[in-house]
Amino acid sequence: MFKRLDKAVPVGEVTIWLENQPRRVPATLSAAAAVLWLDGSAGYRDHAAGGRRAPLCMMGVCHECLITVDGAPNRQGCLVPVAEGMRLERQRRSP
Amino acid sequence: MSDANLRHAEVAIIGAGPAGMAAASRLAEAGQRPVVFDLAPSPGGQIYRQLSAPQVGEEVMGRDYLRGRALLERFENARLDYRPGSRAWWAQREGQGTTLGVLAGGRSELWQAKRLIVAGGAMERGWPFPGWQLPGVMQAGAGQILLKQGGLVPDAPPVLVGTGPLLYLLAWQYLRAGCPPRLILDAAPRSRYAELLRRPRATWHAGHYLLKGLGMLSALRRAGVTVKHGLEAIEAEGGERLEAVRYRLGGRWQRVGASLLLTHFGVVPEPQLCRGLGLAHDWHDGQQAFVPRRDAGSLAAEPGVWLAGDGAGIGGALNAEREGHLAALAILAAEDEVVAHEAAPIHRARRRDMRARALLEALFRVPEGWLAAQPETTLVCRCEGVSLGEINAAMAQGAAGPGQLKAFTRCGMGPCQGRLCGESVTRLLAGHLGTTPEAVGTYQVRPPLQSITLGELAVSSVPPEISRSLRS
Amino acid sequence: MPRDFLIIGGGVVGMAVAYGLARRGRRVTVLDEHDGSLRASRGNAGLVWVQGKGLGMPRYAELSLQSSEAWPAFAEELTARTGVELEYERRGGVDLCFDAAEAEARQEEYCALYATTPALAAMRWAYLDREALREHLPGLGEAVHGGTFSPWDGQCNPLYLLRALYAACHSLGVDYRPASPVDGVEATASGFTAHTPKGDVAAPRVILAAGLGARRLAPPLGLCGEVHPLRGQILVTERLPQSGRLPSPQIRQTASGGYLIGDVLENAGFDTGVTLETLHQLGRRAVAVYPDLAKARLVRSWGALRVMTPDGSPVYEASRTCPGAYNLSCHSGITLAAFHAEELAEAIDSDCLASLYGDFSGARFDVQATG
Repeated sequence: MFKRLDKAVPVGEVTIWLENQPRRVPATLSAAAAVLWLDGSAGYRDHAAGGRRAPLCMMGVCHECLITVDGAPNRQGCLVPVAEGMRLERQRRSP
Repeated sequence: MSDANLRHAEVAIIGAGPAGMAAASRLAEAGQRPVVFDLAPSPGGQIYRQLSAPQVGEEVMGRDYLRGRALLERFENARLDYRPGSRAWWAQREGQGTTLGVLAGGRSELWQAKRLIVAGGAMERGWPFPGWQLPGVMQAGAGQILLKQGGLVPDAPPVLVGTGPLLYLLAWQYLRAGCPPRLILDAAPRSRYAELLRRPRATWHAGHYLLKGLGMLSALRRAGVTVKHGLEAIEAEGGERLEAVRYRLGGRWQRVGASLLLTHFGVVPEPQLCRGLGLAHDWHDGQQAFVPRRDAGSLAAEPGVWLAGDGAGIGGALNAEREGHLAALAILAAEDEVVAHEAAPIHRARRRDMRARALLEALFRVPEGWLAAQPETTLVCRCEGVSLGEINAAMAQGAAGPGQLKAFTRCGMGPCQGRLCGESVTRLLAGHLGTTPEAVGTYQVRPPLQSITLGELAVSSVPPEISRSLRS
Repeated sequence: MPRDFLIIGGGVVGMAVAYGLARRGRRVTVLDEHDGSLRASRGNAGLVWVQGKGLGMPRYAELSLQSSEAWPAFAEELTARTGVELEYERRGGVDLCFDAAEAEARQEEYCALYATTPALAAMRWAYLDREALREHLPGLGEAVHGGTFSPWDGQCNPLYLLRALYAACHSLGVDYRPASPVDGVEATASGFTAHTPKGDVAAPRVILAAGLGARRLAPPLGLCGEVHPLRGQILVTERLPQSGRLPSPQIRQTASGGYLIGDVLENAGFDTGVTLETLHQLGRRAVAVYPDLAKARLVRSWGALRVMTPDGSPVYEASRTCPGAYNLSCHSGITLAAFHAEELAEAIDSDCLASLYGDFSGARFDVQATG
């Protein structure tokens, strides 16, 4: 869904664990941005009232980017910068 | 509450965008040491996000982004107490000061700020249409944030829809990045441009903006990007994600396949902090939004509280920087520093800018009657899944205000706390009751102003007794 | 428009009585205040609760029990009429105790109360220690000493109750007028006239269900205006998976999954705000009761004012000096809604409030004052 520009300034990477899989991502991204870059918005999360949802605003307003960060559910993924070893789990009712 | 837990700030600033950075820098240069709380991990706000370590250069972003560097450097070199990753979840006026509950690193700290500058910025307007909840529909600002944060661009040509300068700026940046949008659907009718002729003086003042916009538009057209004006309606289609965009132009529906739809219907002040502080608000017809009330000269909303930047009414990055500067000067003046000569040229620049702003507001005004014309299944409140039809039914049953409507439908009760649906509810009630947005008002905003967990509440500063005392 | 009754107040008390009267074929106009006015109906925790009610007035305990018994049919009819689900359930509830002294005092109070009248002997309750409670409240924390369980207690969504009452009243032709604050009610030769900024509204009989507005509106009609605000504060969390935990006044999980955390009584005048100290205390207590809630996010908080009479029991009274004027003041409008919509509406309609519910007259406070 999103790709990193070839001409983007080189940046350090960190390893995060997305559903227990190690993934290398640019260190400047938020957790939500990392997931969008890795896997796109499809399957980002399930909504309590049914249906799929994914980040809308990426700036802390919409709360559509909720994700489990290091075991803590419902974090606003767009406000959490990725960090080495961070564990992310998308909130799906059943896989 | 014991004073041991209380921290004191002569000046606290919320937000490290252009307004917050300018205010903090100027105060620091005068020997003060303001405390700056900001949600983001690095300074810049939305407009200068990631500017301390830019991911993409001027050739993609354009000059305006890089222009923020001088301000950023000033801020980074200033002697101040900058606290990134801080959530001001509680704010209450007490006497001449303000009490702030600030969450950082899983603990809430209690601050007493003698003076407070609110520079929390703006958000994109929540603007419902069928399917806007589908993965693959994002706000244009989100697209730009991804670009700034990590040099991320769509891997397939997106569709852009809405009205406002950001729409074209993002399209142009995507073009420069080598991934032009497939289609731009502008909700402003072409006839809007007659405003330019009707208001020559404003057009003169807005010349810089208009030329920039025209330049972008012609670059997009030259590159073969289709731009259509006068969008009447739009629908996002798909099952688990966006598959296609349907749109109506000149009464005729058309359809285009897309995996990413970026929408932009203008920006509005982010309301939580100013509402949470109980500040008075007025409906601003030009901006089509509630804006907090403040003194035009000093930017003070109440004694000890100043409002600067787009959170106090949309004026753009340069204006925000000026307002931050002015708020700092107002504080310094109160301490008998001679700053009047410094404020005068800034005020003049702001006045010039405001004439241009009024024209931009007219050009990019959101379409009238949009919401009421949507199908009844359209979600108004995304968090709680409340549809337009449910809101219409509750209004018919007697819900005569935002509070009652929220109670009857759960609209606005979800985690975004009504940020995205508040304006819609105001508009719908105004239509139903045949009155003005001003008369309808909006939701009452109560803490938490930002997310906090019960655990974080529990471990933070409170007196020890926990149980029976609450019933006494 | 000809009408039989004018009801002042569009909260859950006024609307329940309006619904009851409309069901009996009466023509009713309800005058309500503004959206931002004091509204206990929108601020309460939604308990349909019996245990502990009426500690100072056994008749009130009896009414609570009676209303709790009537609630299932009341809810069913309202939902059938309106399609609004009230999220009502009566699986029992627990009032928590945090130490031995509280537990002992609670049991003494209940033993005394439920031995007062024959009707109250029907009340079932038991004190359960922490271990026994865990069957009803899985995941209960060590800070809880125990609690009183009663199968009569239950919960509903008070906002949907209010909405259903509005919808039912609407369908029964009740004339509901929002944003019509009443400046005063005047007795006239043919009944009563309410003065509002939008004009006068007249009816042969008038019912005050004005909450704290009774302080101002009731005395001129020879009715009791002795009500004062008692603030509560409530926190609500984001939606969480259903736990099956029974409700308690301190904390309950709603049908949509959020937890309501409250049970605060404080004198704060007419201030409906929340306080930082209480938010921290409630957060700490919630985590003490259910440690797994530590990760739950707070979504909202609010303060609301209970409508308290001097003895905490309801006031139901007919004016002696102005026949046809009635006053209803109580802080238990959810639990008592079924009673209000049925027996109380009937008693008002047939003008036998004084004879049937004389104990509840505001005159009881005069007696206390002089005696």
